[in-house]
Amino acid sequence: MGRQVAITSAGFSEHASKRSDVSMPELVNEAIEDCLTKVPSVELDDIDAFVNGNMPAFEGSNLPELWMTDWMGARNKPLMRITTGGTTGGSVAIGGYYTVTAELPGIDTVLAVAFEQQSQGDTSVGLASVAYGEISILNSLGISYGQLNRLLSGGAAIGVAAYQATNYMSKSKITEEDLARVVVQNRRNAAKTWWAHLKMPDLTIEDVLDTPYIQYPLRYGMVCPASDGAVAMLFTTEEKAKDMCDIPVYVNGVASVANETAVLGYDGSGSAQVDPSAQIGAMKSAELAYSQAGISFPRKEIDYAEVYAPFPNQELMWDEKLGLFEETTAPEMYETGVTARDGELPVNCSGGVNSTNAIGASAMERPAVAALQIMGKASNQVPKTVHTSIGSGWGGSLNFITLMVMSDEPKRKWK
Amino acid sequence: MDKVGIVGYNQVKLYSDANYGRYEMIFEAVRGALDNAGLKKKDITTVISATNDYYDGRTISNCFTVEVGGGYLADESKVEMDGAHAMLYGLMRILSGNHKLAVVWGGSMPSCYPYHSARLYETDPTWERPNAYVNDVTASGFQMRAYMDKYDIGAEYIANIAVKNRKNAAKNPLALEEAQNSNITVDEVLNSDAYSDPVTELMVAQPCDGVAAVLLAPERQALKITDKPVWISGVGWNQDTYYIGERDLSTCTSMELAAKQAYDMANINDAKNDIDVAELHEAYAHEEMIFTECLGLAEKGEARKLNTSIGGDLPINPSGGAMGGKPPCATGLIRVIEAVKQIRGEAGDYQVDGVNRAVATGQIGMCAQNNIVWVLEGGGE
Amino acid sequence: MSKQTQRKSMKYEKKEYKKTRTMEANWYLSSYNYKFNITHMQPFLKKMKQKKLIGNKCSGCNRVFYPPRLVCGECLVKPDRWVDIRETARVATYVIAYLKNEEGEVEERPLVLVQHDGCDTTSIAELAPGVDVKDTYIGLPVRAHWKDEPEGGLEDIEYYDLMEDDAEDLQ
Repeated sequence: MGRQVAITSAGFSEHASKRSDVSMPELVNEAIEDCLTKVPSVELDDIDAFVNGNMPAFEGSNLPELWMTDWMGARNKPLMRITTGGTTGGSVAIGGYYTVTAELPGIDTVLAVAFEQQSQGDTSVGLASVAYGEISILNSLGISYGQLNRLLSGGAAIGVAAYQATNYMSKSKITEEDLARVVVQNRRNAAKTWWAHLKMPDLTIEDVLDTPYIQYPLRYGMVCPASDGAVAMLFTTEEKAKDMCDIPVYVNGVASVANETAVLGYDGSGSAQVDPSAQIGAMKSAELAYSQAGISFPRKEIDYAEVYAPFPNQELMWDEKLGLFEETTAPEMYETGVTARDGELPVNCSGGVNSTNAIGASAMERPAVAALQIMGKASNQVPKTVHTSIGSGWGGSLNFITLMVMSDEPKRKWK
Repeated sequence: MDKVGIVGYNQVKLYSDANYGRYEMIFEAVRGALDNAGLKKKDITTVISATNDYYDGRTISNCFTVEVGGGYLADESKVEMDGAHAMLYGLMRILSGNHKLAVVWGGSMPSCYPYHSARLYETDPTWERPNAYVNDVTASGFQMRAYMDKYDIGAEYIANIAVKNRKNAAKNPLALEEAQNSNITVDEVLNSDAYSDPVTELMVAQPCDGVAAVLLAPERQALKITDKPVWISGVGWNQDTYYIGERDLSTCTSMELAAKQAYDMANINDAKNDIDVAELHEAYAHEEMIFTECLGLAEKGEARKLNTSIGGDLPINPSGGAMGGKPPCATGLIRVIEAVKQIRGEAGDYQVDGVNRAVATGQIGMCAQNNIVWVLEGGGE
Repeated sequence: MSKQTQRKSMKYEKKEYKKTRTMEANWYLSSYNYKFNITHMQPFLKKMKQKKLIGNKCSGCNRVFYPPRLVCGECLVKPDRWVDIRETARVATYVIAYLKNEEGEVEERPLVLVQHDGCDTTSIAELAPGVDVKDTYIGLPVRAHWKDEPEGGLEDIEYYDLMEDDAEDLQ
């Protein structure tokens, strides 16, 4: 039941706050071209099916893949669209995995594409409308728009994540300096990644702490940018992968567990995520994906991690929730250099979402970079050999978590 | 392909303006499907939903539906297409061996939003949207005219399809009330208001509020859950190019390719004889004829000669099809459910005799740009 | 400009891109009419009018929801019992927002989610107007402050008053 899936290539477009030189289809095309040039034996015709996704609200285009069909080379090919908010990219990658592993006749090689051109639309409007229905309901029950706006101010993502940051900081007793340290590591790493957005090779902790609060405890300098960009990944079977590239990366575990929404429940009810940094969904995802991949000791068996974290507190928190470090010890690891490029367990050497955030694409860039690190083709390659890596994503109202576990050898345990 | 069974289903009654909220509707569909199969929440391992951000007026339309859709702490994802496409992802998840029970649900409430405005955002933003010359409404006119011209068919044949489907819908208790016209005539259809000439209002499947859900399980579990599982024997899905000027609108290439893929998988060589009943997602009456031909159930241009009524040679849309109510994101899933009902013999007044193999289709886009074809089989005979 | 609103940009390696042609367009959200269920809220709103708090309880997992909830996600059933909730609550989490007031000055205001004693969910809340930012912490005990004449809506609790924290004394 189910067959082994391999990743043979991943490609990126250049990311920037305004890719004013290209339209959305051209941006997508850039990523597909970069992906396919890395595997010379694969032509567009060799691709049997497509999976794609973005967050349609940000560009004001519903189902953009309909009119972008020819730009992706998907004419008269099977195509599926998966969108799940912030985790869209991760869900698309997982969709690519499932399309191959399902063993449907004639479907062997699948191209997964995720993209976002935020400069085309208004991201804050798009994000605010996540809870627009719920806010309208609360308003009709008597809470004024003024109060609701205050409560969810700063755009949905920051508004929600800041609550999480408070809880995490109070639990692990860290200071803002610890948060800034994460930012510095990420942005310096981004400077060595050709496609990254915020490249700051000389950033210091003081620089970050010198910026004003956007919403306590998050400062302006700690928050991710809004980028334009696209990413593509090529999934295929174990047999075909060996002909395509030297080191195929095997997908050994996937999970996308959903929890209930934080801060605001549906229909204006309360949220049972009393502590938004508890994240049982993430722990469940990790449990599921690791058990599929046969990983018992994540800290020892995982060599490289790409963690989806627009805000530094989240990077620390996910590191722990995904089983990489003991609870509340992640800040220490950043201080002692365990997570640096040449450290014991490098995290986010691409600069992470903190430096580059094309929302629909971000969650797929994580497994893409994690796969390239195993192949040895990543642009900020870690010095040590990477055997097993993970790429995660989060989205929704702190309630969706995707996780992909990859390795250089197929060791999936069949149930 | 390993055997995967449909073990439960449920669909809420369709309303043009439902008097209850979105979450209750989703809950009713999903809970009903679980009850139909005699399962409980803890049995669910994966949930795939089909909703659309623009149709729901919410960015991340599945964000707040996690709990009511049964996705709490389950492996959850969303396919932003027709419900029939979401079932494809559900099938893949079951086939991977990672999951033992998949809930697939889809639906939306067009009474909450201007349907055609939302559809307009599906057009190319640089050319077609500002011109507003080609959109989902006008495209239907292009398509019908192309089909009529190519095979020299009068509008009365297409009106005939609308009459048949609306009469069938009258027998379906879950269909949209406005579409249950048991005494409708061809003249009434032809003389109703123009929608996009030559398409008239009564030839159009009306968008309405509704949610549907199905449950999928692998063979071993399916046999434990129900005595009457319906097996998935083939699936094909395909996307055509966007620009309708580039496509031959008198046919539907993506449907042909999807049908070929599904038939190859199900070992069907002679669709006309092998298939007992078809449930098609026809957004307009003429699409049913085009799809009938693309699915190989009739020769090109000959669909009008086929007797597709409930007692006919090859019954098509005995439930009334999409004409009996078209909730966006659920219609394709409802077609699958109706096909399952026919195979299990649970269709009531519109039951076709001796059904063992059925096809169901789903579509999205202008002039059915992306199509999916399901071939379903019963366990017996 | 005060330091709090000042947008100081951080230097980064920027690349200039050529400009392609752009077009203006809009996405109207305002035309949506959201529908929602009120039936499960009615008993709760009626009690609010009498200055009493109730939440609904799921028989499957014994969780209590305030404000009431249509469906319990864990059990996928409708909560079927009503239980009393206390007026006292604790701050579950908070952030501090920097928002301009009517005079254009930046105000620091804590925004809080509280968990009422006797229920398992958090609800959105506002602290009493005079509360100092520095006084807020996770676990801070508060008490609902009712409007003089409740009308049966969520706004009947105007804000939350601070209470003395007994746990602090123990330390």
